[in-house]
Amino acid sequence: MLRLRSGRTDVALHTLRDAAGPTLLCLHALRGRAADFAELAPHWPGRVLALDFSGHGASDRPRGGSYTPELLAGDADAALAHTGNACVLGVGLGAYVALLLAGGRPSRVQAAYLLPGAGLEGSRTLPHTLVSGEALRAEVARLLEAASHRDAPGFDPMVCALDADPRPPDYARAHADAATRLLFGEDGELRPPWWEMSRESAAALRAPSDPRAGLTMLYASAEATS
Amino acid sequence: MDATYPGAVAPERHRTLTSLGLRLHVAEWGDPAAEPVLLLHGFYDHVHAFDLLAPLLAERFRVVSYDARGHGESEWPDSYAWQTDVLDAIHVLRDLGRPAHVVGHSRGGGLATDCAAQYPDPVRGLVVLDGFGPPPLSQPNAFQRHRLQGSVPQQLTTWLDWRRGVAARRTFAPASSLEELAARRQVQNPRLSLEWLRYFAAHGSRRVGEGFAWNFDPMASRGAGPFRPEWIAPGWRRLKAPMLAVVGDEPDTWGPLDESILSERLANVPVLTRATVQGAGHFMHIEKPRETAALIRDFLEAA
Repeated sequence: MLRLRSGRTDVALHTLRDAAGPTLLCLHALRGRAADFAELAPHWPGRVLALDFSGHGASDRPRGGSYTPELLAGDADAALAHTGNACVLGVGLGAYVALLLAGGRPSRVQAAYLLPGAGLEGSRTLPHTLVSGEALRAEVARLLEAASHRDAPGFDPMVCALDADPRPPDYARAHADAATRLLFGEDGELRPPWWEMSRESAAALRAPSDPRAGLTMLYASAEATS
Repeated sequence: MDATYPGAVAPERHRTLTSLGLRLHVAEWGDPAAEPVLLLHGFYDHVHAFDLLAPLLAERFRVVSYDARGHGESEWPDSYAWQTDVLDAIHVLRDLGRPAHVVGHSRGGGLATDCAAQYPDPVRGLVVLDGFGPPPLSQPNAFQRHRLQGSVPQQLTTWLDWRRGVAARRTFAPASSLEELAARRQVQNPRLSLEWLRYFAAHGSRRVGEGFAWNFDPMASRGAGPFRPEWIAPGWRRLKAPMLAVVGDEPDTWGPLDESILSERLANVPVLTRATVQGAGHFMHIEKPRETAALIRDFLEAA
C-alpha cells in the first residue's frame, strides 16, 4: 500500500495486481474500499491499483468532515499523478468520480468503465432545499447524527453527505462530453439522471454490466484510443 | 490588540465550540441572560466585522457570533463544503439551548437562511444583510467571471491543478504592514474606510515572517463544487421564521442584486419584510451601524 498526498490529507493506493501492461485504477462505491475489487483484479491484463477515497478504508478522514464529489476527484487525481495514464473503473459514487476525472483529465484517462452501486444512485435533479420539509429534516438529522459519531470504524459517517449531494445532471454531462471514452455498464435497470444524460454523449458506449466482460471491452477501447 | 475605532467594541466573552471535530471561536456581547441573537459574518470576514453592530444590539440582546471555519480564530478544515458550514451554524445555535434570532451578512446571510430552512424550530426571526446569493450565471459579476472561466470540465481541470499546489499554501501573499493589508482590502471593498480596515486587519491578521496575513484559509476560497444561483431562492419557501431582507442603496463591488432578480427571489419567502439602509453599500452594518441596528431591533422585537 502506498500513501499519497491529496490536498491536506493522505489517501491509500493499493496494488491489487502487479503485472506488465496497461494500468487499471479502481474507484469504489460509497462506504466501500479498495479491497472490494480483489476478486476482479486477476481479470485485467495489466497492473491493477485501487484507491481508498477520503474518509474510507485506510485513507485519512478530512478534518472538518466536508465531502464533495470534487474532493474525491482530487483523490483520484492524486492517484493518476502517481500512475500516469490509466483506464478507470468506477462503481456507484466511484463511477460518478470516474466520469468527472475522465472529463477533467481527458489526456490521462484513456477510458472509464462505469458500474452502478452505492452513492449518487439517488442523486436528485433538485437541491436539497427543494425536497419536502419532512425529507429535509430527516436529512439534516442524519447529518447531525453522523457528525457526532465520526470515530466509527470502516468509514467516516459524514460521507453520507455524498449520498444526496446535488449536482445537476448537465454538470455530469459536460464532463462526459469532454471525456475520451466512457463505457456505461447497463443491465436494463433505471439509472440516476446524471447517468441517463451522460450516456447520450458522443464518448459513451453501452457496455455489459458483468464486470469481467466489461473489463475486456474497456481494454479493447483503451487499445483503440491510445 | 490595542487597535481602536470609534464605536467599535470587541467581544466581551470568548469560548470554543467543537463542530465536526473543528474548534470554532465563539464571541459574545451583552447580558448572557437576554434573548440570544446569532450573527454570521461574510466571506473573508471574521467576528470583529460586528464590533460596530453588536454593541448596539447588545443593549437589548445577548449577541453571539463565531468565526466561520477557515476564518478568524477558528480552525481550518482539510476541505470545504457549503453544507458543513450550515451544520456549524446549527451546532452553534443548538449550543445556545434556547430559541434565537439569526442575522447574517453576505455569505453569512445565505448560511443563516439555510440554517433557518433546515433547522427551523429554534429560529425565531431571520435577518439577511445583502446575502441573497450571486447574480444568475447569465449575468455574472466579477467574482463569478473569475471563477467560471472555461468550460465546466476545464474548470475541474483548473481546480485539480490548483488543488495539487494549494495544500502546502498557508496564506495569501503576506503584506509588509497592517496598513498595506488594509489598503489591499480597500481595493476589493472601496466603500470601507482605511481607518476601519486598519482596525479590522489588526483584529483579523497574524504575523507571517516579517509581514502580516489575514486569518483566512486560502483553500476556503474554492472547492465547494458547482453551484447554481437559480437553486437558492426556491428553497426559501421552506422558511418558517419571518425574514427581514436588508440592502444598501449604494452600488458596491458585491451587490446589491438588480431589483428584478432580488424581488423574484424574495417572492419565495413566506413572511417577508424589506428594508433599505440609505447611503450604504454591501457593508451597511459597518457603514451605517446605528440605522442597521435600529432596523434589526425593531424587526426582532416584533418577531
